[in-house]
Amino acid sequence: MLSVTGLCKSFGGKPALHDVSFEVKRGEIHGLLGHNGAGKSTTLGIILGMVEPDRGEARIGGVSVQEDHAGALGQVGAIFESPAFYDYMSGWENLRILAGFSGRFDERAAREVVERVGLTKRIRSKVGSYSHGMRQRLALAQALLPEPQVLLLDEPTDGLDPEGIKWFRDFILDLRRERGMTVLFNSHLLAEVEQMCDRVTILREGRLVHEGALDDLREEAPVYEVNLEPWGDAKAFLELNGVQVLSLGRIALPSDADPAVIVAALVGSGIRVAAFAPVRRSLEDLYLEIATSHSDA
Amino acid sequence: MNFLRQLRGELAKLFRRPRTYLGYAVFLVMESIILLVFKLEGSQRTMRTLIERNGFGFNDYYSSLTVTYWVMGFSMFLLGSIYFALVAGDIVAKEAEDGNLRLVLARPVSRLRILLLKYAAVSIYTVTFVIFVGITGYAMSVAALGWEGGLFVWNFKMKVFSVFPTWAEGAGRIGLSAIGIGLSMITLSSIAFMFSCFKMKPAAATIMALSILFVDMVLQEFPFFKPYEQYFVTWRMSSWVYLLENVISWPKLAGSYVFLFGLNATLFLIGYTAFRLRDFKT
Repeated sequence: MLSVTGLCKSFGGKPALHDVSFEVKRGEIHGLLGHNGAGKSTTLGIILGMVEPDRGEARIGGVSVQEDHAGALGQVGAIFESPAFYDYMSGWENLRILAGFSGRFDERAAREVVERVGLTKRIRSKVGSYSHGMRQRLALAQALLPEPQVLLLDEPTDGLDPEGIKWFRDFILDLRRERGMTVLFNSHLLAEVEQMCDRVTILREGRLVHEGALDDLREEAPVYEVNLEPWGDAKAFLELNGVQVLSLGRIALPSDADPAVIVAALVGSGIRVAAFAPVRRSLEDLYLEIATSHSDA
Repeated sequence: MNFLRQLRGELAKLFRRPRTYLGYAVFLVMESIILLVFKLEGSQRTMRTLIERNGFGFNDYYSSLTVTYWVMGFSMFLLGSIYFALVAGDIVAKEAEDGNLRLVLARPVSRLRILLLKYAAVSIYTVTFVIFVGITGYAMSVAALGWEGGLFVWNFKMKVFSVFPTWAEGAGRIGLSAIGIGLSMITLSSIAFMFSCFKMKPAAATIMALSILFVDMVLQEFPFFKPYEQYFVTWRMSSWVYLLENVISWPKLAGSYVFLFGLNATLFLIGYTAFRLRDFKT
């Protein structure tokens, strides 16, 4: 549904993106992760046609953003961190103006969207009087007018309170369930990404360092917490057999390794196995592992 | 149809802004002050000398129409240029600075369309504002001097001297000149608009536009440039006064306005090129 191929971009001679390619399948919620300055916003900018790539292209629904801007963006709704509206106008007027750039403003559809985002009572008030959460709801409403196939979310939950974050998450998940909406989600809140995304792309210093399903990421090098005695002998044995010892009592098995075979081998070599349990790593753990390994490299 | 609908939105953005109306209020105050100055004995004496030396009756030509002509000229010169540069300098740069543009650029609309809409809105605003100044200036003059009397026009720089003894003829010419000033002022708006399309602060766009205008006005007064004064923008912008000649010199007017329209189109294209090449990072 959405793909970027070989994206390269530099600003003032400083490379911001280097040969970045990834794909977001129809109905998928895809997280775009990376440190500040990793190239996430530049990638979103290129997908939205706001940034011209030095090389490569972005396609939405098979249409090239660079070649047919209007055709590609006709399928997209976008939300940005701290969305800027015309504060001196009402929410409804803002919707009318913004949706007007996508064609005819359908009042009935707009009323439905406004009701859905829970802004019906305040939609005629000036946006200047809105809270941050209400602005974000209005941003969501404008992104859904007219019905897009793809939603691009740039740090959409930044600054929201926990209730607001949960509401937003549930809303996006409902959209995917009901309409099969494709979502590309750029966020620093890894817990949020973990709860919403099927797949992630991780950028580091403008380069793609990982792309894949979250579960695949976990299975790439499953981590176990172990209690082995004596630890010195156990460590030497494990390293000899291709197991990575992360720290005292924490090891990472090769993805093709069978833990039962490792345990049997440890026992067979006279090592007492008091505990050998898989650890479910959070996205934060995985992200930091990847980020660290690439910065080490 | 889409363009008109989008233009309505663009105009709504411009005319719903409280700051826009602050400008109208400031102009009303400015007009009142100019009118007050015209009521002072010293000013009246000067006007009397000017009118009577040319063989006309002061009471026939010191009228609401004549004062409106001066009010429009002075207020546009003193405040209009600043105000139009401010509004046109804001139109793109402020939205880029505030982040409103990102929501628009994320829509299936070309950058050319976005700029055309904004340029059209600024042009409409400029012309309607001048007409507003003309109407309110006239209304205030009528309140102060009554509606009767002819129109006395004297412009040393552009070498225009004319009189319109009847109210109907004078009023028609004042109306026509308001449209002329509006069209001339679009060039000032175009200069500020062009700068607004570059990556710069709105205030910087305004200051750059006003600087160009100021330098243009000063340079043409230098003796060296006197033979070339018709190539200066502000000289061409003053051509509206030809609409107040007894017999309108249409070729002179056409020459000036073609020059200004050509300049406006060039400024728009430069602005568009800068805007087209800009990256808007989220």
